[in-house]
Amino acid sequence: MPDKTIFYLLFALYAAAVCGYAAHAVCRRTWLSRTSLALTAAGVLLHSGLLTQRWLAAGYLPVTNLFATLFFFSWALALTFFYFELRYRLGATGLFVMLLNLLLLGGALPRDQRIPPLIPSLDTPLFELHIIFSFTGYAMFAMAFSLGVLYLIQARIDSAALPDLGVLRRLNEEAIFLGFGLFTLCMVAGGIWAHIAWGYWFSWNIKSVWSFLVWLFYAGMCHAKFVRRWQGGVYAWLSIAGFGVVLFTYLGIGLLLESNHPLE
Amino acid sequence: MADDRTTLQRLWAVGCSLKLAIYAASAATLLIMGGSLAMNAHPRIFGGMDGTTINAWFAGTWPSAPQLTWWLPLTALCLLIFGINTLCCLLDWLTHLRARWRKTGEYLIHTGFLLLLIGYAWGNLAGFRSGPHRLAPGETLALPQLPGYSLQLDSFTPDFSPEGRPLDMVSAVVLLRNGNEVARGTVRINHPLLHDGLVILATSLDQRLAGFRCFLNGVGTIDLAPGSRVALPDGGTLGVLQLLADARQAADGQVIPMGEQLGNPALQLLLLRPDGSLWQGWYFLREPPPFELAAAGAAPRPLQPLAGYVSLLTVNRDPGAGLALAGGICLTIGVLLAMLSFYRKRRRGDRPQI
Ligand code: HEM
Repeated sequence: MPDKTIFYLLFALYAAAVCGYAAHAVCRRTWLSRTSLALTAAGVLLHSGLLTQRWLAAGYLPVTNLFATLFFFSWALALTFFYFELRYRLGATGLFVMLLNLLLLGGALPRDQRIPPLIPSLDTPLFELHIIFSFTGYAMFAMAFSLGVLYLIQARIDSAALPDLGVLRRLNEEAIFLGFGLFTLCMVAGGIWAHIAWGYWFSWNIKSVWSFLVWLFYAGMCHAKFVRRWQGGVYAWLSIAGFGVVLFTYLGIGLLLESNHPLE
Repeated sequence: MADDRTTLQRLWAVGCSLKLAIYAASAATLLIMGGSLAMNAHPRIFGGMDGTTINAWFAGTWPSAPQLTWWLPLTALCLLIFGINTLCCLLDWLTHLRARWRKTGEYLIHTGFLLLLIGYAWGNLAGFRSGPHRLAPGETLALPQLPGYSLQLDSFTPDFSPEGRPLDMVSAVVLLRNGNEVARGTVRINHPLLHDGLVILATSLDQRLAGFRCFLNGVGTIDLAPGSRVALPDGGTLGVLQLLADARQAADGQVIPMGEQLGNPALQLLLLRPDGSLWQGWYFLREPPPFELAAAGAAPRPLQPLAGYVSLLTVNRDPGAGLALAGGICLTIGVLLAMLSFYRKRRRGDRPQI
């Protein structure tokens, strides 16, 4: 198997950022959060470079196996966090998101990173758009999930290390809205692609059905924030449930189908 | 407090209600979630859902499995309510456009969703799905769902990688209406021929018997396939009219095709003798040649079968696809507008509360 040192270096950068955020949560030193942000920035830069290099080497966006999608998802999540961090200086809020990112990247690393040949039906820019918007959308939903969990924690412990509830709520709503927008673009690209590849733009294949459910769920959440009684706590729980639907759509369906139909 | 609204006003308020939207969407979500579990557990029943329109599939499946499919009409009902709800909300916005123009992006999203719903319903109610159809070059396929229409395959070229992986399948097709060409194009993977709601797609390929390599005394090795003509040393001509991969001769002498697999192959030949006389007949290649061929010294000896490819083409019609595409465009523009104006609107703090 080709050398993976550079991928482990990337993991180490993100892991160091996580340690920095953890230390910041405890001792609240500005330089700690600054260093963590710098480490995250370095990680995002290296991650983007690796992704570009793989894209150029393959001649197409390599997102056709589990290593590649986890690697891309992790990149999208790191970028999403970086955006929120630059915009709002969330500090310790990053701990949770970057931990999730480490899980994704850690899930990718033991797998084979070689780029498989492209299946002819995937050889279209629509597929690339579909995947890019799908994972950038997922990353926003993962961000919303993290913010939802932090909201619930903050509602219990009222820590000075975390942003206050109003900020967490607003950021959660923002992540959901942006995620819904990106995921809508993913669905549009996917629908057009399905129409030219199969002759129908909506498929009753279980993965497509669950993608539609993800979309419907987050469209619902774009409205749920207007229900005064749901703002805050209920909304945080819904963000957590929504990410459950996302994870099931992304990973669960493959496992479920495998367990039911080993020969399929 | 007394409610002095008219019934119509109250109905309108329900139609525009965001709560109704949340209930309808939640119900549809839960129904589809449950339904997807049934889909996963019963692939034999649900596996063909994409092969036909959803209403045709439901009409065929419901009688034998009502306990597994009841969620589908209920989902359709929820989506219908959701759709009417979205429409009311959209009309309500249109009537307040002057004050709410900043929400154009959001309401383009609503319009897009409505167009998708209508496009899906229309495409399934008025469209059809057929195939995959096996077509060899030169063959024509009648489309019974569209009386008068037929599809002709002019040529078919599969493309393989050096390792033998299929890379593409290129079919040159002509769409005919009452024998007259209405559209022509090359169909490849991800490049269908689109014409007036019709989608003609390259689905797969298959092998079939295309001809036979034979040895003919005085001529040498020749490839015989339908349409071949061979000049004989004595000045006569041997022509091939038909090739059957598997055939049987009935008691009355009629030759009956038995299938596409190589079994008992037969060539229908035409022999034009130098004196101008004609003979036409069948030569079953596993049997001795007909007397007339042998007597004329024109009996080819089969050496090996020659394989050719047939194209497997899918022909669907989705008259709602244009509407759905318009919906997709509305969604895209709406999302971009709504995302770009998100922060400005948040600063203004204009959002409804319920
Ligand atoms: C079924 C009936 C629906 C109703 C009654 C409804 C109603 C509304 C209302 C009142 C708003 C707030 C607009 C404003 O800020 O003034 C809104 C926003 C929105 N709706 Fe709907 N809607 C419906 C369906 C949908 C559907 C099906 C989708 C998506 C496919 C959708 C996506 C959105 C989005 C993305 C927003 C923007 C949310 C935001 O500003 O953060 N809606 N809707």
